[in-house]
Amino acid sequence: MNQILFGVIATLGVLAALGTVLARNLVHAALFLVAFFFLVACQFVMLEAEFLAAVQVLVYIGAVAIILMFGIMLTRNIQGDDTTTVSKAGFISGGLAAAGLLAVLVFGILDDEGRTGRAGWRDVTTRPAVYPVAARASAEQTKAVNNMGFVVGRELLTRYLIPFEVAGVLLTAALVGAIALAVQDGPSTDDPAERAKKAAEHTAAAETEPQLTSA
Amino acid sequence: MNVATDWALPLVWAQQSELDSIPWLKWIIVLAVVFFGIFPGIVAYMVWGERKVAGRFQDRIGPNRVGPFGLLQPIADAIKLITKEDIVPRTADQWVHLLAPVMILVSAFLVLPVIPFGLGLAAVNPPSGLIYLIAVSSISALGIFLAGWSSRNKYSLLGAMRAVAQLVSYEVPQVMSVIPVILWTGSLSMVAIFDRQVEYGWFIFSPPGLLAFILLTIANIAEVNRTPFDLPEAESEIIAGYHTEYSGMRFGLFFLAEYLSVFAVSCLGTAVFLGGGTLPWPFTGEPVVTLGSGQGLLSLILVNLPLIGIFMAKVGLYVFLMFWIRCTLPRLRVDQLMSFAWKVMVPLSIINVFIAALWYEFVFRPGRPNYLLGWGVTAPLVLISVIVVLSIYKAQMKADLAASPTSRRRIATAN
Repeated sequence: MNQILFGVIATLGVLAALGTVLARNLVHAALFLVAFFFLVACQFVMLEAEFLAAVQVLVYIGAVAIILMFGIMLTRNIQGDDTTTVSKAGFISGGLAAAGLLAVLVFGILDDEGRTGRAGWRDVTTRPAVYPVAARASAEQTKAVNNMGFVVGRELLTRYLIPFEVAGVLLTAALVGAIALAVQDGPSTDDPAERAKKAAEHTAAAETEPQLTSA
Repeated sequence: MNVATDWALPLVWAQQSELDSIPWLKWIIVLAVVFFGIFPGIVAYMVWGERKVAGRFQDRIGPNRVGPFGLLQPIADAIKLITKEDIVPRTADQWVHLLAPVMILVSAFLVLPVIPFGLGLAAVNPPSGLIYLIAVSSISALGIFLAGWSSRNKYSLLGAMRAVAQLVSYEVPQVMSVIPVILWTGSLSMVAIFDRQVEYGWFIFSPPGLLAFILLTIANIAEVNRTPFDLPEAESEIIAGYHTEYSGMRFGLFFLAEYLSVFAVSCLGTAVFLGGGTLPWPFTGEPVVTLGSGQGLLSLILVNLPLIGIFMAKVGLYVFLMFWIRCTLPRLRVDQLMSFAWKVMVPLSIINVFIAALWYEFVFRPGRPNYLLGWGVTAPLVLISVIVVLSIYKAQMKADLAASPTSRRRIATAN
């Protein structure tokens, strides 16, 4: 049953990923991406990590995908043409980069040695059942499944404190950078002549800007 | 037997131990009766209730033609919506146009299974129920965006842009305001939150809990796009916002989803801060614990009928509060909307997490809760932080206004 479910979810996930890459319409591509995020969340549920699944939906669908859509809405050309078709040179270099990444991932995973005292990933062919059998599962394992939010939070604030904080600083820096890019400085003024000048500049800038949507 | 709580009987039956041998039967009962029968029914009569309440607020009578007190009005409306022609604009993106209302409706439905209506009456109880609830309710923003975008109508697009900006902004204080609850419970499970409140009293009865409840209520109203936060569908400005191009039953789906999410966020507020189905005075938890430990069907029904009745009464009051606010307050301006979320609600909810940690130290950590000391320390802190944040916000608004062009200043002072 688990195998069949995994197969279905994985197949749908690959199809959604392909749809993301191949869709000619940017919004459709983003929708496929949302489907892919959702299927990854399903995969997390299969791995007994339903906290992670909920966070995946919250962060990736509820926030990232929405911001992505917002960005797409403000681009000038949603359908076809130069925004979604790839030139031959781009295709080759992109393909090479993708193959390289795949190679790194595959060799990285296959050469995994495992932490001291534990087997590496390649040696693990089975995983615990969806509901850990009480007799076999350790207390720690059971707690990690039953109250995963607690365990994840404690790990984040103890063992992974430094990476967690560094990620936080990085995101703050990105936020500050985005605001610095978006905010136009120069105080608004009450002087009518200057305001008229600014308005004229604004309209001139708007005329050179491309139209919002095509269709 | 109580008429108000009759609707929940199938839920109780579904818990019957004889049915446990066929696990899917429970799901069929829950799905067919509760999700396709009862919740839409509640929505239909919520619409009727809102029209009645709004009518009284505006010195009218409200619907009173179809059936006694207009009670058959929702049915007439539903038939009208189903029989109307379903028009899809020619330039619309057909598939996305079809998908969008379904997405919003699914998101509204998915919130409800984790709500603990009574003892053992949460349809599912995942250990991260609260995060799950927030996650699935955030999907609706995507549906609203797709609805607005796929219609190829400038008003729809404007509504969608407003909706996305608003929903993303108010989701932050919505999530932050339930952090105190998670802190006090030590778990994300909705059932664990309910149990904790049976043990220690409602979470709203503490200064940080009260502040968090107010913040959650404001964020909830914004999340379901109701006045004063109805900018995405502001009738006087952009026709109907993101659902301008929808007609017939597709519009009906939006309608159903909107009221269903009003019901869902009311359930969230009730379950998380108002103690679920318990009564406010102490010792009401005792019969729940005693009777609930019995496994018989009779004790289950005896415990759950009053629980569900009280729960629904609270949800009704919460919904009424939302109707009341809707009838009283005018719509916000866009800049007011955004600055209120980011400059008042987010700072307050961050400060509130720290005050909630203090409350935890006084009440939950020691073996014997020390409510008096807790109130003495946290109440002034909450008061001071609210006053400081609001006065900084007001001063900033004043400074903004002084720096703005004269035309805008004239508009602002005229109001």
